[in-house]
Amino acid sequence: MTKPPPDQPQEAFSRRSFLKGASVATIAGTAATAAATAATATQGKPETFGPGTHEIQLKVNGQNKLVKVETRTTLLDALRDQMDLTGAKKICDRGACGGCTVHLDGQPINSCLTLAMDAIGGEITTVESLTEGGKVHPLVQNFVHCDAMQCGFCTPGMVMSSLACLQQRGKPTREQIQHDLSGNICRCGTYGRIFEAVERTAQGAQGGGK
Amino acid sequence: MKPFTYVLPHTLAEAHTAAKKAGAVLKGAGIDLVDRLKERIEAPPEVVNLLPLKNDLAGIADDGGGLRIGALTTLRQIAEAAALQGPAFGAVRIAAGLTATPLVRNRATLGGNLLQLARCWYLRSAAFGCLHGGKGPTCLAMTGENRYHSILGWHDCVRVHPSNLAPALLACGAEYTTFFDGKQERRPLAALFPDEPTAQKAEHTLRDGEILVAIHLPKPSGDVRSTYQETREKDSFDWATTAAAVQVTLQDGTITDASIVLGAVSPVPRPRAEAAKSLIGKKPGDAAFLKAAEMAVAGASPLSQNAYKLSLCKAIVRAALTEVTR
Repeated sequence: MTKPPPDQPQEAFSRRSFLKGASVATIAGTAATAAATAATATQGKPETFGPGTHEIQLKVNGQNKLVKVETRTTLLDALRDQMDLTGAKKICDRGACGGCTVHLDGQPINSCLTLAMDAIGGEITTVESLTEGGKVHPLVQNFVHCDAMQCGFCTPGMVMSSLACLQQRGKPTREQIQHDLSGNICRCGTYGRIFEAVERTAQGAQGGGK
Repeated sequence: MKPFTYVLPHTLAEAHTAAKKAGAVLKGAGIDLVDRLKERIEAPPEVVNLLPLKNDLAGIADDGGGLRIGALTTLRQIAEAAALQGPAFGAVRIAAGLTATPLVRNRATLGGNLLQLARCWYLRSAAFGCLHGGKGPTCLAMTGENRYHSILGWHDCVRVHPSNLAPALLACGAEYTTFFDGKQERRPLAALFPDEPTAQKAEHTLRDGEILVAIHLPKPSGDVRSTYQETREKDSFDWATTAAAVQVTLQDGTITDASIVLGAVSPVPRPRAEAAKSLIGKKPGDAAFLKAAEMAVAGASPLSQNAYKLSLCKAIVRAALTEVTR
């Protein structure tokens, strides 16, 4: 565990200290939450980070990864730009479309509205986890089978919200699927086929076949 | 987003001290703040993150006198809470469950929902300078595009209060606790919103560095029921055009207590005391509900594009009263 950078008063930030600070801080690797990280530090004074870059550890798809971020870096930007996980899409970047949906501790969230530092200690699951090791998740197979995409830009987000729906409800009704996917927008309007793909997955279909 | 220093406190006292500094802002999940930073309508040098204090500031528990809902409790937790099942707090549950999207509700907090900046498109755009944002001489919506703006109780700024939960909690008689200068202070929820919501006033009355800790709901006694309804342009994922939260107490088929609070029609959530009072002593029925609905919008002064809100507002007050007394 590397020590976080010492507290610096705001006035002390210059271009030089910004550059100097750029490669320093690493946040505790095994801490369970940001709160637990904080709890290990000296009591009495809050921990401060930034405004320059520092290294944090994120657990993505079961693997701990070190990633360089600024305090203002969103989880979406950390995944796409630093970790080459470009499945989550940057579309509206304001939490209005759902293209950036990933799971944080099993719950689907907008990664564009989540600061990367707020995901420290959490279990992040991205759409890439559904095709790992050449094994394709039945949900993805059923998206293909049902032709549940047109331009495909919303698809990774739709898949992640669908996955959470299935994980949390088992055999969801059409109404429940619509409810759980209501934060994901498909401008092509392929909703019907997406709902079918989720229903087929709930019924145990593995894609292919009629 | 401009760069900022991120402060992770260990205690409320540390968070308070850090947040008191000029230009520092407090954040829960950051759903609203990150949006404001990206739009560059704000560029605080320091952001104080309350999430490390989740253990103390999240969760719903019976504190003896009623329910305590921590300010960092997520909207999803509120919508699904076992403690909020039952008729008395239906309004709170429904309002939380209707807000934004499942993706947002999984992170968005009670505190953030109550304290968010108004959603006026002039206020939220760096391309405009308006009076409420402190960057212009007038309210641009007053004579501009104002179909989603105030119809009553506005002064020199016609923003609407954006929180779904505020009217619901007010209707249910909620109180709130804050932390300031080493002390916890508890007040009626109405005190969280300015009496005269002028452009110069913030959406809430918290002082610099004051931290919203929890919301408290009183234990219901008797046949207490509440519900929440809103109108919107889209079935899912939309802001309310009008909202109404109602709570009534029934005894032997007669209304003995009532409250009606409107949302999305004024710069603050608006309790309509006279309208609610008109129901007391009455048996539930359409004539009484219609009269209360009329009274709920009494004194309204709609703008050039939003007179439609008057009829919507009356309709949902009537519908909410009908539903809650069914």
